[in-house]
Amino acid sequence: MNQDLAKKTVEQLQKAGIDFITYLPETRLSGILPLLEAQSSFQLVAVASEAEAITIASGAALVGKQSACYMEGTGLFVCSYNLLTVSVRLGIPLLLLISYVGSFADHRNSFRFAPTGIKTEAQLKALNIEYQVLVHSDDIETKTAEAVRMMHALKQPVALLFTGDFTT
Amino acid sequence: MKRNECLEALVPHITDHLVVPGVSGQWIWGQISKRDGNLLLGSLGNALGVGLGMALGLPHRKVIVLESDGSVLLSLFNLPTLGTLNPANLVVFVFDNEAYSGSRISRPTATAAKTDLAAIAKDAGVSYAVTVRDIDAFKREAALAVKENGLRFIVVKVEETFEHRKAERSDVDLLESKYRFVRYIEKTEGIKVFRGRG
Repeated sequence: MNQDLAKKTVEQLQKAGIDFITYLPETRLSGILPLLEAQSSFQLVAVASEAEAITIASGAALVGKQSACYMEGTGLFVCSYNLLTVSVRLGIPLLLLISYVGSFADHRNSFRFAPTGIKTEAQLKALNIEYQVLVHSDDIETKTAEAVRMMHALKQPVALLFTGDFTT
Repeated sequence: MKRNECLEALVPHITDHLVVPGVSGQWIWGQISKRDGNLLLGSLGNALGVGLGMALGLPHRKVIVLESDGSVLLSLFNLPTLGTLNPANLVVFVFDNEAYSGSRISRPTATAAKTDLAAIAKDAGVSYAVTVRDIDAFKREAALAVKENGLRFIVVKVEETFEHRKAERSDVDLLESKYRFVRYIEKTEGIKVFRGRG
């Protein structure tokens, strides 16, 4: 992801009111991390597993934080149990920022990512998690705010899958 | 030492604390501590992470997590994160009966053999991680942990008991428990947790 797009992504998260982000570093969107760190409005929590990215963000959401979890697409499979047993079951608004590795528009797609990537949307559907796919850089302007509105309206996790322009 | 006597000894210390019981002891805790500051989770491997998130989100409120050996073993990745973040307002009690007693065939957990959860927590960076083996030690640790500042990870070696199998199940389900908890936070913190519109 180029620097401008990383900046735009962080601005949109801030504008949407996100103030607590758990994360495990990955490759496609990693440009957002130094920008998130530079903004005091974000409380950033580095974790050891996507599973605890979900539980920690859920706990923070229950005490008033506007929580997001940033992870690679493969992490969705790691944290599916926690999503299902905590966030989905209890109904906790969470924004899932997922790099859609292994998708058709992933510029760095390879044999490493495609076999799991093609299962990503099916996994979200199985978990009953609504999602939007962001392919073009302009998508960030509207889809972040829409996803945050939806997560509050549903009181459920909602996912943004980043591919295309976001994976260069 | 029995888990229930520990929970009963803990109750008088609870005031405005946020309490997250894991699966172990959840029904007993719900019966002896009827308050909206308890969040019922009803699943293994999640209470420590959820409690940690609460502690980070509200650093001026004390959060108490009631965990078990099987549940912590399922989510060992929490321990390095706990040690790294070191939240001063979090207390974790791990009731370690050395068995998967929920399974009804009581297979031993790794703590029945060589695994020492307090030692693992300590090596993961949790500076105050201890094991208590009798009720007097538990009472001392519990009183201090609730009163003093600082992250504490207290492994409580308990007998395997089966009272929980007979304990009455709560008629408050997970959703109602969540709303009660959230309204309690809103009331005591003067904040809005859920938005009507994002």
